[in-house]
Amino acid sequence: MKLTGLLLAGVLSLFSTVALSETFTFTAIPDEDESQLRTRFDKVAVYLSEQLDVEVKYVPVKSYSAAVTAFRNNQVQLAWFGGLSGVQARRLVPGSEAIAQGFEDQFFKSYIIAHHSTELAASDRFPVLKGYTFTFGSKDSTSGRLMPQYFIEDNLGKPVEETFKRIGFSGDHSRTISQVEAGVYQVGAVNYKVWDTAVEKGEVDTTKVSVIWQSPTYPDYQWTVHSGVDTVYGTGFKEKLTRALLNMKDKNLLDSFPRESFVPAQNSDYDPIERVAKAIGMLD
Amino acid sequence: MLWQMKYLVVRINPDKMAQAFAIRVFLFIGHWQKLTLGLFALVLMCWYFADTEVIALEPWAELGRMFTGFITPDFNATEYLLDALWQTISFALLGICLGLLLGFPLTLVYQHPWVAAMCAFIRAIHEIFWALIFLQIFGLSPLTGILAIGLPYAATFARVFADILQQSPIHTLLGLPHGTDKLSALLYGRWMHVYPQIVAYIRYRFECALRSSAVLGFIGMPTLGFYLESAFRQGHYQQGGALLILFITLIGTIRFWAKPVMLWVYLPLAVYFLPDLPVLQPQLIWRFVSIDILPPMLQGQSLATWFAVDTIKDVFEWALELISEQVLPGIVATLVLACCALGLTHVFTLLMLPLNTRLMMPKWVTILMRAVNLILRSLPEYLLAFVFMLLLGPSMLPAIIALALHNSGLMVFLMVRQSDEVAVPLTYRRRIDDYCFTVLPTIYPNFMALLFYRFEVIIRETAILGMLGVMTLGFYVDSNFAEIRFSGALLLLLFTAGLNVLVDYLARKLIQVPRNRLQAC
Repeated sequence: MKLTGLLLAGVLSLFSTVALSETFTFTAIPDEDESQLRTRFDKVAVYLSEQLDVEVKYVPVKSYSAAVTAFRNNQVQLAWFGGLSGVQARRLVPGSEAIAQGFEDQFFKSYIIAHHSTELAASDRFPVLKGYTFTFGSKDSTSGRLMPQYFIEDNLGKPVEETFKRIGFSGDHSRTISQVEAGVYQVGAVNYKVWDTAVEKGEVDTTKVSVIWQSPTYPDYQWTVHSGVDTVYGTGFKEKLTRALLNMKDKNLLDSFPRESFVPAQNSDYDPIERVAKAIGMLD
Repeated sequence: MLWQMKYLVVRINPDKMAQAFAIRVFLFIGHWQKLTLGLFALVLMCWYFADTEVIALEPWAELGRMFTGFITPDFNATEYLLDALWQTISFALLGICLGLLLGFPLTLVYQHPWVAAMCAFIRAIHEIFWALIFLQIFGLSPLTGILAIGLPYAATFARVFADILQQSPIHTLLGLPHGTDKLSALLYGRWMHVYPQIVAYIRYRFECALRSSAVLGFIGMPTLGFYLESAFRQGHYQQGGALLILFITLIGTIRFWAKPVMLWVYLPLAVYFLPDLPVLQPQLIWRFVSIDILPPMLQGQSLATWFAVDTIKDVFEWALELISEQVLPGIVATLVLACCALGLTHVFTLLMLPLNTRLMMPKWVTILMRAVNLILRSLPEYLLAFVFMLLLGPSMLPAIIALALHNSGLMVFLMVRQSDEVAVPLTYRRRIDDYCFTVLPTIYPNFMALLFYRFEVIIRETAILGMLGVMTLGFYVDSNFAEIRFSGALLLLLFTAGLNVLVDYLARKLIQVPRNRLQAC
């Protein structure tokens, strides 16, 4: 059958195409605004390529777990991870290193926001949350899930399931805000930068939803590089890469993340995250 | 159900004794009435247990933003838009081809119960989860997407083709000359009789594949769904509106751009323009089967230590905890949600069908309804669910309504072909009683068969609604993937698939009468 032959040839050719080269590949998911990913990060790729003298490619991914998988499979050698995904990735790839973090990520925080009908007011004391409905951001988010859950459990002394009437995962910080604003959930946890930007841009009706508590600070997003890049791309590559990241001054590039600048980081900076993740059972 | 009532009213004789009366009524309720009443009883019971709390809200600001987005769509907001459109088609096309390549041979051995069970097992796992599994093995490669469509589609093709083939008459087969080889006998003796049905079904599946292809974008394949999901998740409704309009147009115009002869052009192009394939890394496959799928306490341990008493105890406790904390609550939520959605699909479809058939409505109404159906079946359920969630609050209700609307859109699309072809007497008038007396009873068996088949699909679709906080099996599978716990995810998928095999088996038992034309997605 002619048709079968053609189809077979087509499918077989899937297996034969080989794209093997020494391209240095990275991925990044910004915590705000995921539009125009490739357009924005291709510029970062051009910058890195100039600094490193290798071909640099950006691969867009959809979620932290996809980024971790790509990193683990060595399909990307460098990734802009959230706090938790970075820890997950470094546990899976021994020898990989956190080399830089955003300036803001040294003292990142989460907000707890509430719908006006709850009549909860902003306070330094941890709010009484029992009996409300509550939404996290995405399941694997550090600022929208891991840290808020830890702080809530730590302050109220019991698992979140026992505190709240209903728990949801909105999947995204912007969506957490819009859902609490609409009253779908009464209380929610959100990344402070996303909230501040949304308020600044006038996208939130602050008479309907407001911040009632802010968390202590913790480390968040960071650049993590694969082990063994020095052997593939030449000795001193990791150092050169770190320098290139720390020297990224172009506001246009930094806005993609969005960060003020990058500062040095190391694996041990994220020990608190790992401890917390273990404490609430997200890591074994 | 007017036509059922009619029977009851005519047959009930008030003079009979109570007991005889009861027996009579039972006997007079026909097979399909019993099945329908049974279904409703089941649905009502599930509805009672379902969480359907409505919470008063202030959704109007967000809904207003959404509405504004849809009436002022921004087609320029998406980067590489044409690329995404093309990849959506290309993944669908290659997925279908792979599905056919694997599915046809399976059809021939489908009568074997093990093959049927294996196919039910493969079908049971949502394309998204297949993709998440293949993602571990092939990484972000087109292969991941094509296999994720091709594999479950092959299992579906095998089942449906086997069903269709059963209807094929055997008189040609008996008339073939002596010594005809087996393949020719099969092709000319049996296949050719049902060839038009097969082609119609493949064409229909292509539409499904386009949807699947878009949905795979949700987890990172470079199709329309990639941008669609981000846009809606982040509230960029102008961009989302534009993408949705494009997607619905793409599906609505299939018959204009996907002419069979054009496939000879599309297919080579699809292969040629695939995104770069990373090198296949055998060690990834090995890592997946030798480490990832093992329970955490066995990972990296030598085989000899697996059978130590302590290890076995650990594994047992691990499995027990997963089963009691995730599998069982997940199964309950999945079944409750799916049953409620099934009941509502039944109601919605029966309500919408008269509006769609030429035997009830003038032409302009049916054309209008065709557009409504197109939108209902093309909108990803989770978008519908999100809108209802803003209106009704975060209970199971938004998910139930979204599933029911989506599925009844599909059911009507498939049923209206049959209802249009019902032969009606010359005295027939376009009135609801004539419709209920003549048309509905004729198509009802097929309708129920299709509905029961949809049950399997609904169960599978509950998976993507997990993200809205409805803790279905899919929710737990997704959580396990997010926490990089593949062994847990696989254990849950095993139970999900087992549940589906069971449901499939029961549905087939219940619908043994008419097996023909089970055309379903």
